[in-house]
Order: sequence, then structure tokens, then C-alpha cells
Amino acid sequence: MQLFKSLQEKPWLPIALEQQANLPYCVSGKENAASTALRFFLAVITVIFFLFTITFLQRTQSFDFQALSGEPWLPFTNANVLWQNSAYLLLASISIILAKKFAKQQSLSAIMISLTTTAFFTLLFVSGQVQVWQQLNQSGFYIYTNPANSYYFLLTGVHALHIIGGILVFIRCVWLFAFNLSYQQLASRLKLCALYWHYLFFIWLFLFFLLTSDANTFKTIALICGF
Amino acid sequence: MTKIENVAIADQVDQSSHPSTFLTKYIWSQDHKIIAIQYSITAIAVGMVALVLSGMMRLQLGFPNEFSFIDPSSYLQFVTMHGMIMVIYLLTALLLGGFGNYLIPLMIGARDMVFPYLNMLSYWTYLLAVLVLLASFFVSGGPTGAGWTLYPPQAILSGTPGEHAGIMLMLVSLAIFIVAFTMGGLNYVTTILQARAKGMTLMRMPLTIWGIFVATILGLLAFPALLVSAIMMIFDKVIGTSFFMPAILSLGETLDHSGGSPILFQHLFWFFGHPEVYIVALPAFGMVSDVIAIHARKNIFGYRMMVWAIIAIGGLSFVVWAHHMYVSGMNPYFGFFFATTTLIIAIPTALKVYNWLLTLWRGNIHLTVPMLFAIGFIFTFTHGGLTGLMLGNVVIDLPLSDTFFVVAHFHMVMGVSPIMVLFAAIYHWFPLLTGRFLNNKLGQFHFWGTFLGTYAIYVPMHYLGFLGVPRRYYAMGDTDFIPASAQTLNAGITVSAIIVGLVQLVFIVNVILSTFKGKKSGRNPWQAASLEWQTAQFPPEHGNWGKQLPQVYRWAYDYSVPKVKDDFIPQNLSSQEVEYLTNETVNNQEVK
Repeated sequence: MQLFKSLQEKPWLPIALEQQANLPYCVSGKENAASTALRFFLAVITVIFFLFTITFLQRTQSFDFQALSGEPWLPFTNANVLWQNSAYLLLASISIILAKKFAKQQSLSAIMISLTTTAFFTLLFVSGQVQVWQQLNQSGFYIYTNPANSYYFLLTGVHALHIIGGILVFIRCVWLFAFNLSYQQLASRLKLCALYWHYLFFIWLFLFFLLTSDANTFKTIALICGF
Repeated sequence: MTKIENVAIADQVDQSSHPSTFLTKYIWSQDHKIIAIQYSITAIAVGMVALVLSGMMRLQLGFPNEFSFIDPSSYLQFVTMHGMIMVIYLLTALLLGGFGNYLIPLMIGARDMVFPYLNMLSYWTYLLAVLVLLASFFVSGGPTGAGWTLYPPQAILSGTPGEHAGIMLMLVSLAIFIVAFTMGGLNYVTTILQARAKGMTLMRMPLTIWGIFVATILGLLAFPALLVSAIMMIFDKVIGTSFFMPAILSLGETLDHSGGSPILFQHLFWFFGHPEVYIVALPAFGMVSDVIAIHARKNIFGYRMMVWAIIAIGGLSFVVWAHHMYVSGMNPYFGFFFATTTLIIAIPTALKVYNWLLTLWRGNIHLTVPMLFAIGFIFTFTHGGLTGLMLGNVVIDLPLSDTFFVVAHFHMVMGVSPIMVLFAAIYHWFPLLTGRFLNNKLGQFHFWGTFLGTYAIYVPMHYLGFLGVPRRYYAMGDTDFIPASAQTLNAGITVSAIIVGLVQLVFIVNVILSTFKGKKSGRNPWQAASLEWQTAQFPPEHGNWGKQLPQVYRWAYDYSVPKVKDDFIPQNLSSQEVEYLTNETVNNQEVK
């Protein structure tokens, strides 16, 4: 709403003298800049996954598409491994919130434990995903044999890259903290990391639902979307 | 001392360490002005390659089979590389990486981009993308000849030039470019939102910044479509998936692909491709608005409408993409929808053209070289835009789509027009970079050569399109319905194109000579009101503003304000500092 109000300003009108003494700021603080950039970045990532999803939904309706769940012999009819991986990512997401909280409390040992936990569970998620890829390959669900397989590898691969990008930023944050960041600065950086991790988790849940749905679900979605 | 994080950016005193070595100052520089120049030089250099490629294409079209070094494959490779380089690696990079980088911090009153290191990384990643693209000229099979739209299945099939290394390098280069653009784009948007000087409200920003701002958002949201399609095509090519590849018999061989949709690629490509037109056009709209206002000594007509039009065009640009796909076939209701949205986008665009004209109307027009290019732009853009209205209609597009009419249309609207603005901008802001003017006589020659030359190229090209001369063809061969005189016209176009190409060399010579020996401009030579001309040092140095950042009291268009001594009021001048004419002087002026 503030934006619409701003867009209605009439900048050609001269401003009053008292307004000159009290000029408006746009916003303040370095953290705001990083937060704004992160939100735009997440918007870019959202568009990427949105576009992949649209192409996927369209492809689900082609004659050669074989969903990865729904029948007993399909790999994700029983998706326990993926639930387990989801739990890892959820725990990583929770522990990074705790790390931020401990940073505010300036409790060094608790910070170290929670940061280690975050890294551990995140890496566990990535290795869990790699194991699923290996299992799919061993069961003959190769990337090129079916569009559903192709999309599974593609989307989880892009998601893994997204995570690795986050891990690199996370490592940099910890590295800086080891040398010259204050607790307050660490907390504000961890706040952004936490947002990134929550986003990773929600994107994963969405992909989980999408990639493990059965043919009937896809038919319903396609009907609603008009494919 | 107060920690810098706790102070508004607009209140922060200069604590940056200024680079002292040649490497940190000019090579690994984090100064937005140096990065802008790096972007510009790279973009113009790669643009010259694309210009030479277009010359080669024209040689073949004008004088078929006269040149042994141009065969059907190399012709298609020239077409592809010319298009991709011009649209992405020249125009996008120069307008946003070059002018965006240079002007954003200066025009909004900031010391630099909010993330200078990321900004530097953006340029070097862009350079890597350019090098990867150019490397395709030197690999076996040469660059891809799939056309700049890279449509599958033919882009990755045997029979298309560069179907192995060429197409891979193109796709990888595009992916790298998008990474570079995202780094830069996040910086531009965040800087504009967070680092504006005190008093610089959104509606006091010059239209140049508005154009760059909205174009950057478009880029951030549209380039992912190209990234997605590039990744999926790489998978199809390398791993053998079938995202875009249908069951296909290629050169007598049945391929392993099945069920993919080439049309899906077209949707993705144009979901990027059409906003790309406005990623190029919106910064150009903004810059031309500022050049016109300054050189006509008049406030821009309808500032608010201009801002709203930029936003409206940006929004609408995402819902018109399928007008590039009428010939691919679609549900008639879809065709109707996309034709309607295409025609609707003409409303805010036309509004901008009217406002430029109304700014000129009864203005104190100074026919400087930047102004000549700006007025030239209004002509070329109107002509290109009007043929766009024609092609937006399905029934007109279908017969014309594969002819030279379309080539003429898009070159006028998104080739010549943005380049006219780029020249206007370079002539206008050159004194800010160097403290010197570009040579006026050479500039005038450059303008008239370019302006008249491009009309000599593209007006006949429209006519060729009406005759049905097909585009993308290496040679027309014996085509009964096309008269022999079409070839004479083609030869004339080629001669004009070569002349226009040579005229650009005059510009390059002018830039080099004027950088070192040009006439000194002094401070604010155009007497502009916007902030970039009001820096502490001229030309601005690292940090732009000295110890304290400026404060902004007005918009950027206070020209010829009645009863004010000078005919412009800088944005950072408060009401108390403005010098007014006495009543006596006003009366004397009225008598005169």
C-alpha cells in the first residue's frame, strides 16, 4: 500500500520549508540491504522452480509418462526414505533457528552445537538424496528412460545445487564469525540463513509432493490447470 | 564511534578504503564506475564482432555466391551468433551492466552499489560467458547455426551447424550469463531500494533509474525461463532425456527420444524473449526521457504517467509472449488473448511517445548530438512500434512472419532504437566519465550516417517482406513470385549496411581521440539538474560524494523554472539556496 501511495506523489510541487529540514530516508541499515537482496533472490529461485513445475505438469499428460508411485513396483509408492530425508532438512531448519537464538544470547558453546547440528543434518539430507538416486539407478529407473525419472533427477539435482549454494554462504558466515563478527552480526546473518533454510525446506516439501504423486493426482492437477 | 551497520546508508560518512594499486583500481575494481566501463568495453567489443557478422550476412544476401568464405552453414552461424550477441551480450549488458552500474549510485546519491564485491564478480562472470561464447568460433564444427531462438529439435540434431560443441558452448555461456546478470541485478534493485540519498523518494528518481529498476526486475524474473530451457536442452543433448525432443527420425536414423515437446521450449524461450525486449527498451526509455528534458530545457511532460507507463509495460510484457508463436499454431482463443494483450501494451508505450513529443513542444531545443540521437530514436521507435502493432494481429502475422518484414520490424524497434538511445547516452554522459566532450563534428557525421543509413536499410526491407522474400534463407534461388528487382534492392540494402557499419568506426575513433584530446567540458556542461552532475569532484572519484552524501530537495526536472536565475535547479539545492531574479530583472526580461 505504501508503494501505491508513493507512486501518487507529485514531485513537481515545491516542498515546504519545514519538510526540507526533515527529509525522508528510503530505509536504513546494512542488514536490510542483504535481506532485500535475499528476498529477490528467493523470488528468482521460485520462478525457476515454478517454470520447471509447469513443464513437468504438462509432461505428466503425455502418453509415455509413468508416475513414480501408485503401483507396488514403483519406487515411491513407499516413500519412507524421502520422509526420512525430509526430517533431516526439518531438523537442520530448526537447529539454525536455535543457533540464531543462541547468538542473541551470546552463548558460544550452544552456538557451536547448533551450527554443527545444522551442517550435519543438511549434509545428511544431501547424502540421503544421493542414495535415493543410486537406488533408482540400481532399480533400472534411469534418468533417460522415462520423463518422470528425468524430472526427478533434474528437480532434486537443482534443489541440491540450491542447498550447496546455501552451505557455502553458511560456511562463510561461520568463518567470519570465527575471526571478526560480533554476536549481534552473527545473529543477523543467521536470520537470513534461517530464511534460506526454511525456504529450502518448503521447496523440498513441494517437490516431494509433486514428484511422488500418482497418475490420478496428476490427472486431477492437469484438469484443474487446463493441460 | 557508531558502528556503520546501525546508521542509515544515507547518513554514513565515507569509511571506504580507496584502492591504490593499478590492479585494485582498474582490474579487480569494486568501484561501480570502473565496473561499468569494463562492462561497456566488453559489450561494445563483442558487439563489433556481431556487427561484422551482420556485414557478412548482408554480403551474401546482396551479392549471392560471390564470396567463397560464406556457405549455407556459415550463413546460419552468422545469423545465430549475430542475434544472440546483439540482444544479450551487447544490449542487455551495455544498458544494465554498463549504464546501470555507472548511473544508479550517482543518480540516487549513493557511494557505490550495496554489494561492491558481488558487483565485481558479476562483471568477471559476464566476461567468462562472453569468452565461452566466442570460444565456439574455434571449436570443431564452429558455433551453433540453430538461429538465435535455438529451437529444438533441430538445434541439437545432426545437419544443424555446430550441433555438438557449438550448441553446448552457447547453452553453457547463456547459463553463465544469467548467473552474472542475477548477481548484478540483485545489486541494482537492492541499491535503488535501500541506498538512496536522504530526500530521494521513489518519485524523485530520474526516469533513467525507473527504467533500469523495472528492467532489472523483469530480467530477474524472465532470465530464469532461459536458464530452465538451457538446462533442459543440455540434458536432452548430453544425457538423452526427452524434455523437448519428440520421437524423431533424423537423417534416416531413429533416435532414442520420445514424447518431448518442442513447443514447450518455444513457450519457455519467449516467456524470457518478450520481456527481454523491454529489458532492453525500458532503460532506453528512461535515458531518452532524461536526455530530451535536459536538452530541451523543460521538465519531462507527465512524469507520473511516465513512471506508471514503465511499470505497466513491465507487467504487461509477461503476458504477450505467445505472439511470437502464432505460426507454431495455438488455440484461436489463445491467439485472441495474446493479440489483445499485445495491442494493449501499445497504450502505455504510445503515451510515452506523446510525452516525449510534448516535452519537445515549445521547449528550448538544443540540437546537440545527444539530442539528435534522442529525436532520431523517436522516429525509429515509432516506425518500429507501428509495424509491431501490425504484426501483433494474428491474421497479419501469419503471412508476414517468415519474411523480411519481421526482420525489419524488430531491427527498427529493438535494434536501431535502443542503439540510438545508447549513442545519445554516450554522447550525453561522456563528459561525466572523462571531463571532455566527444567531438561535435564527428558526432554529427555519426548521427546522420547512422540515422539515414538505417532508414536506407530497413525501409526497403519492409518492402521485401511484403513481396514475400523469406528470412533465414541463405539464397532465394528461383522463386517465381518474387520479381528480379528484389535482388537489386537487396544489393542496395547491403551497400547501406556496409556504410552504416563503417560510420560506426568514426564513432570508435571519436571516443578514443576525445578521451585523450577532446575539448574540456568543465563541470555539468549540459546544466543538468540530476544528481550525477553534482558530485564533489568532477569527474566523480571513488566514493562519489566525498565525506557526506548529498540531500535531495526536489525532482530531477526543474528546468526553466519561472523567476529563477539559472534555467535549472539541481536536485540537491534547497529552496533557500536557489537564486531568484529580482522583480526588476523579470520585468526587463518580459520587455525583451
